[in-house]
Amino acid sequence: MDSDVPSVKIDTTVPVSARIWNYWLGGKDYYPVDKEAGDQFAQLYPGIFDEARASRYFIARVVRYLAEEAGIRQFLDIGTGLPSHDNTHEIAQRVAPDSKIVYVDNDPLVLAHARALLTSNAAGSTDYVDADLNDPQALLRIARGKLDFSRPVAILLMGILAHIGNPEVDDDRAVQSIMATLKAALPSGGYLAIYDSSDVDPGLNDALHKYNESGADPYRVRRPDQIARYFDGLELVEPGVVPIQQWRPDHDPFDPPKNLTNLGGVARKP
Amino acid sequence: MDLPETRDSQTLSYEQAGPTAVRMLLGARLRKLREAAEVSREDAAQAIRGSESKISRLELGRLGFKPRDVSDLLDLYRVSEDERATLLTMAGHANTPGWWQPYGDAVPAWFSPYLGLEQAAETIRTYEVQFVPGLLQTPGYARAVLAIGADDNPGPDTEQQVDLRIRRQQLLYRPSPPRLWAVIDEAVLRRLIGDPSVARAQLAHLIEMAQLSHISIQVAPFSGGSRAAADGPVTLLRFPEAELPDVIYLEQHTTAVYLSKPAERLYYRNVLNRLVTEALPSADTEAILRQILREI
Repeated sequence: MDSDVPSVKIDTTVPVSARIWNYWLGGKDYYPVDKEAGDQFAQLYPGIFDEARASRYFIARVVRYLAEEAGIRQFLDIGTGLPSHDNTHEIAQRVAPDSKIVYVDNDPLVLAHARALLTSNAAGSTDYVDADLNDPQALLRIARGKLDFSRPVAILLMGILAHIGNPEVDDDRAVQSIMATLKAALPSGGYLAIYDSSDVDPGLNDALHKYNESGADPYRVRRPDQIARYFDGLELVEPGVVPIQQWRPDHDPFDPPKNLTNLGGVARKP
Repeated sequence: MDLPETRDSQTLSYEQAGPTAVRMLLGARLRKLREAAEVSREDAAQAIRGSESKISRLELGRLGFKPRDVSDLLDLYRVSEDERATLLTMAGHANTPGWWQPYGDAVPAWFSPYLGLEQAAETIRTYEVQFVPGLLQTPGYARAVLAIGADDNPGPDTEQQVDLRIRRQQLLYRPSPPRLWAVIDEAVLRRLIGDPSVARAQLAHLIEMAQLSHISIQVAPFSGGSRAAADGPVTLLRFPEAELPDVIYLEQHTTAVYLSKPAERLYYRNVLNRLVTEALPSADTEAILRQILREI
């Protein structure tokens, strides 16, 4: 039971990533400042609405794969975001009702929503961790109290790594070091699933440049090879690190995939 | 979306009040769809063999919907199959009298739209400073609360109102129940309503309800943030349809207000957001309730 109630304030003057995503995904939990930032972003990069939807489908396919084909029953979902349709525990528990999901975020509004709305069925469980990915040791310390790391665990990092570090300053060493810590903690037979935007679209890069100047928590895209490196040391599941809409798609194969910037993959720790 | 202020609700006859809420939501949606399809009221009227004023009244939720009319309008507005199904179902509900109709005068005219909306909601967020939220009250507690309203002299309606309140709670036991997310001020839990046995039963009931996965109860402690002191009770209803806006419901002693302007919705959603971030997490609730239970 965590009784420390930190003094929290919801800032409605600065856009917040989780709330902008809520806007792009057609939710009802954003503030005017988030809509404004989201619309401004979309002017420079109209593909963002497709990216947002594609990322939710990707998460759904990944979690289903992990639960169904990889037999994973423990999920550590870092960077939960505001509740959406088909949240991680709903997808996993549809396949395996006994799945246990631990949601991690450091935004008090996200955590409050998760605690109230991302709740489990009776057979499985959901739990919540207030932690910052910038301190992976502390995050893992809490997670170890909630999940059994002697058995397979899947760590999900969906669209969150670009909030960490600055690749222009340190060639992405900060994130690579966090990844090393997380991969070391992953038990054998555990999985790592990631997607993040890559820097392949000038429109997206411009939109992000402007967004990062708004006072919001910056989002810095990586080169495709930097994203691929997150999986170093693990065995990538087919088809590897690919544009997310091409990762084990389950709808009409004749529907030509749109050119999106998000790259994603799933890998197993040997 | 146009929801009635008190002034409007007086123009609704009691028999109409049940489906009113659904009608208002459906009407507001039809207006949006008509505007998006750039169809004039005149052309819409022609499609359903009616007048422009009939379209206006339908869009304000002041008339019942004939399924054929709705279907014709949806054709004209080129609405997707999915939404078409949802709206036609709503049109069906819009003509069904509410289950609370037999309760007669126990349901004030200003309250019945809320009952309809509550049934349709996917998420109910509520903040209470005086009493345990109605959906979580025991019959004994409800009776004691209603007795206060009746100057300690329960009127003939009291038992009916207790029944109504308990009947309302059935929505929490539906196969796909709405999520109830309540913040309750600590004062509510410590103030004795009725005799100690009533208070104890109510606290025990809250402990039990808080175990349900679709119910989340947070306590706003005396020691917590200042937010809790600044606002009165408020309820936010959210509907599963992406197109339908949240409804903010503010209940007073003899009337209620349904806020529909975007700025008002935003204000109260932010109030609730601040409350849920400042109140204790729901994981703490059971221990607090047990502590108070020991002290009674």
